[in-house]
Amino acid sequence: MTGTDLALLGVTAALVAFSTLRDRAKTKKALRVALKQFLNVLPFFVAVFAMIGLFEVLLTPDQIQGWLGAGQGILAPIYAAIVGGLATGPPAAVFPLGQYLLAQHASVAAVGTLLIAWVAVGTVTLPAEIQFFGARFAVSRWVLALTLSVVLGMVMGWVL
Amino acid sequence: MKRLLKWSKANWLVWAIAIAYLFVSITRPASAAKGALLGLQTFGELAATLVTVFVIVGLFQVWVSEEFIIRHLGDSSGFKGLALGAGLGTVIHGPLVGVFPLLKALLAKGARGGVIVAIVSTWAIKLPMIPLELRLFGWKFTLLREGLLFASAFIMAPLMEIIIGRDWAARFRGAVGGE
Repeated sequence: MTGTDLALLGVTAALVAFSTLRDRAKTKKALRVALKQFLNVLPFFVAVFAMIGLFEVLLTPDQIQGWLGAGQGILAPIYAAIVGGLATGPPAAVFPLGQYLLAQHASVAAVGTLLIAWVAVGTVTLPAEIQFFGARFAVSRWVLALTLSVVLGMVMGWVL
Repeated sequence: MKRLLKWSKANWLVWAIAIAYLFVSITRPASAAKGALLGLQTFGELAATLVTVFVIVGLFQVWVSEEFIIRHLGDSSGFKGLALGAGLGTVIHGPLVGVFPLLKALLAKGARGGVIVAIVSTWAIKLPMIPLELRLFGWKFTLLREGLLFASAFIMAPLMEIIIGRDWAARFRGAVGGE
């Protein structure tokens, strides 16, 4: 447990306490929802951590640096945008993966892009979006979001 | 059977990783065991953070209702509408597909196309997930990324309005619900 963990636990406990004071029944429901959602995404999380473990033994930092490192320039965030844009999963699941890649010398631009594309692009939901809002809206948004994820990733790499 | 299929679609990675582990345990058993142990260790380190994140998700779910969002965004336009949409996007929960009906209802009530784009853009900001990001990447990375994502809503919205045309939203007006 790090200091950040303790601070987070403290803040969360305070939020729960405040919520309980405002409305006991609602807070109970919130905790039930939390447990249900946690159990729902748990398999995916276990898979992500298992994947990180496997990467750790099978891939060398040099290989990751070769694909996603700063030496790749704009290619690194573009690869990351493709992976993040096509893959789908719980939003939180991408964070541990990103941190692992960063620790293995992937560029900040690539990791920033991956984290953004994972939630902002949504290729799997594209058919539904077309149905709701029309192809012009959905496809333009998909293209813009994908482009923007690379641009924002590059900005992050440049600032940090 | 149908449930398993649905589960597998959401959890495709579970199968992919199971197959990968099976393959590695046959070819390099020591590596598979070491990988699993390392994965478990990473999981253990983050367990407390994950629990707090999901408690916050639960709190958001009960306190931020659809009515709350519609009440605040009924017929917004102008910059204020965009800003409000971008703000509300950060607290909307659930998968994006689940948000579409809500967005359509907003359009029917007179919200501008850009407001919808702003909401979808900042929907990518997961306010309850910020603790996890902070824990893993630190303040600077988190603030910069979330700040850029928020700002991007104000780039996406006008760009999309130019591409789809300003009258795009009009076709949805009064389609569902209405006054």
